[in-house]
Amino acid sequence: MASYIVRRILYAIPLLFLITIISFGMMKMAPGDPTALMMDPMIKKENLVAYQEAYGLNDNVLVQYVRWLGNMVQGNFGESLIRQGVPISDLITARLPNTLLLMLVSSFIAFLISIPLGVISATKRNSLTDYSITFVSFLGIATPNFWIGLVLIMVFSVNLGWFPTGGVSTLGEPFSIWDRIHHLILPALVLATADMAGLTRYSRSSMLDVLRQDYIRTAKANGFKNSTVIFKHGFRNGLIPIITILGLMLPSFIGGSVIIESIFAWPGIGLLFVEAAFQRDYPVIMAVVVIAATLVVVGNLLADILYAVFDPRIEY
Amino acid sequence: MKKRFLLAVVLIMTLIIAACSDGTANEVEKNQGDKKEEAKSGGRLLLGTTAAPTLFNPYYSTDTSSSTIEGFIFSGLVTVDTDFNPEGDLAESWEFSDDGLTWTFKLRENVKWHDGEDFTADDVVFSYNIPLHEDYIGPRGLPFEIIEEVNKVDDYTVEIILSEPYAPFITITAQFEILPEHILGDVPIADLGKQAFNTKEPIGTGPFKFTEWKEGEYIQLDAFEDYFKGKPKLESIIYKIVPDTNTLMAQLQVGDINLAGISPQYIETAKKLEEQGKVEVSTGDSNAFEYIGYNLRNDLFKDKEVRQALTHAIDKDAIVQAILDGAGTVAHGPGSPANWAFNPDMPEFEYNPELAKKKLEEAGWTPGADGVLEKDGKKFEFVLKTTSANEIRQQIAEVVQQQWSEIGVKVSIELLEWSAYVEQTSPPLWNFDAIVAGWSIGSDPDPTWFWHTSEIENGLNYNGFSNARVDELLSKNTQISDLEERKRIIAEADAIVAEEQPNTFLYYVQGSLAKSPTLHGPEFNAANTYYKIHEWYFD
Repeated sequence: MASYIVRRILYAIPLLFLITIISFGMMKMAPGDPTALMMDPMIKKENLVAYQEAYGLNDNVLVQYVRWLGNMVQGNFGESLIRQGVPISDLITARLPNTLLLMLVSSFIAFLISIPLGVISATKRNSLTDYSITFVSFLGIATPNFWIGLVLIMVFSVNLGWFPTGGVSTLGEPFSIWDRIHHLILPALVLATADMAGLTRYSRSSMLDVLRQDYIRTAKANGFKNSTVIFKHGFRNGLIPIITILGLMLPSFIGGSVIIESIFAWPGIGLLFVEAAFQRDYPVIMAVVVIAATLVVVGNLLADILYAVFDPRIEY
Repeated sequence: MKKRFLLAVVLIMTLIIAACSDGTANEVEKNQGDKKEEAKSGGRLLLGTTAAPTLFNPYYSTDTSSSTIEGFIFSGLVTVDTDFNPEGDLAESWEFSDDGLTWTFKLRENVKWHDGEDFTADDVVFSYNIPLHEDYIGPRGLPFEIIEEVNKVDDYTVEIILSEPYAPFITITAQFEILPEHILGDVPIADLGKQAFNTKEPIGTGPFKFTEWKEGEYIQLDAFEDYFKGKPKLESIIYKIVPDTNTLMAQLQVGDINLAGISPQYIETAKKLEEQGKVEVSTGDSNAFEYIGYNLRNDLFKDKEVRQALTHAIDKDAIVQAILDGAGTVAHGPGSPANWAFNPDMPEFEYNPELAKKKLEEAGWTPGADGVLEKDGKKFEFVLKTTSANEIRQQIAEVVQQQWSEIGVKVSIELLEWSAYVEQTSPPLWNFDAIVAGWSIGSDPDPTWFWHTSEIENGLNYNGFSNARVDELLSKNTQISDLEERKRIIAEADAIVAEEQPNTFLYYVQGSLAKSPTLHGPEFNAANTYYKIHEWYFD
């Protein structure tokens, strides 16, 4: 097991390396640079060129990449090109916890709601309940996230006034857990809906698969109660494939957080990424890419390890 | 085991929630009644913006959010009133020599910096020398280029000598905010853009002092008791970052934001909220115009009559009504009615598709087999570019495409992301046939930027427009300090540009401002939204 983990981590290094090359290349292929934003008659051409020189924007792309990589490997993300003098690590440490919190809570919500729904759906296959759950799931898959977000804000924040319209906490109020949770509920719920639908479908089919197994029939034949059969014999085995989904869900959570953070004015790294992308703030873009890629790689690794923990048949 | 797992998850969540706290937990808790009372009379102004600021130093920032906040923190020698007239700020009065080269500013005494130090002429000399320094790497070199020297006459008198008479000096250059010499004086100019001063601890002489920048959330500014025009009535300003405009409108509706500029797409929503008594909306002409710009390097657009014909084919009034809900004024030439230099009598090329066809026929363009105009075997077709960052311009492109097709001009639309759009349309590429675009004019009406031949190579004259008489007039316009005479010169130049139609001028943009009904003070104007903000208050 330990050697497997070490091996996986070693595999991850070239992968991350490749991701940075591709992202850096794509980013540089996008037209313009940070000075494109400064399109303003007050700028002297010489000053603009001096700026580009000072930040090495005129160097060969390879030179720029190697310079960036050199700093990154030493744990130095560099400074923002737009917000001059601000270390990117400051921006990340201020924002990453917000994104992690949102992702954690919403994946928790997604699992909490969709797995029971999937199980119910599977056990009552082809019933009205099953059809209703299936219908709602597909509706969830088909509805864009940002739209659900805006509708929830209109209904629950503006019309009913039950929830705040955005942000992580009430301005100028002392810290309170309840206030934090209050601000977290809507964005977490919306982010969760993106994956809830898929997750419900996965757990349904996974459960269906398990319930068709011989040992379930045997258990039933032995006269065990139906609920015991489903939960003790079926559920635990049906859960195993879901763990894989956990790993696969991470990228969609990161992608989704970009939109959700924007709608709920949630100061996370998704929002930072959007700002940086429009401003062509190259080192900030790369910092977020590296962090997101690392999260995904680590998430997948965790999922694989958990897989082994839950399924004794698997050995690495 | 399952229980323990759940506990762990809850614990992690709590830890993260706690980690996100900002340490205000130690503050004395106020009881609920107090809070309610405070919200009513406390005077905390919540401003909303979709774009986060970058840094608070007027010699290095270029975005609107930053310059708005800089306006709260710092003061300049002069400011402008709601009609773009210069008004003394840190300068009590000023005069200029007969040759227009020497400007003498008498400074206010008893002005304090936010850290308690006195403001003096040294601060002005220091600040104005920043963009003049050879190590300066920043975006504000041009307005200072005409400055020969900045001299301290005494502690409260500054003399500025220009290399040539330059009328916009007072409305552009002299508006730049002054930085504290006693804090930044020893910093090498090359490092000034990266100072923590700019993002963590700016010190100014303005009505509000910087308190906190909560990353990605808001910037808090508190009233400065010793502000030289008197302590602001508002207690604080919270500049909130709300990236999504729909959310911003929702926040405005529930009072989480007290004041926000309304972009044209949201006017209808704002008006509805006004009917419900939730906000008050004020509107007016803003200092900008929207246009379709032709690349005069392209053979299709070389003929003036052809450009005029293209204008005749466009129903500007329909565009204003249908796309902007009437929130705009049909334009015939450059400038803006919000500006004192505006010329209301420019040549007009009204909507008349028949006349457009006739003019094109006279120019040798006749319909081909497919209905598209042809001349010497060449079809009248081109690409109309605009940016996906602006929905209104996209819609205009679609309408114009339709209207041009009716006179046999075939247009395809290309939407570009903002940076890509800027790169393709600006020097040195000028890779466009025609664009849907807009210009904002700035606090001085000098049209040199857009039409002077010298601005083709590197400047904003993307069209490549060149006219000897216009060049002559524009070169003269900035040399004259007399407003009336300058107005006549600009009017003549604008009329020639309107006749030449390097652009189809579409409309003058209307701006809108929505505010909470309890907030008193803000009123839409193109020149200075936050004019006299220290007098604003809540009921």
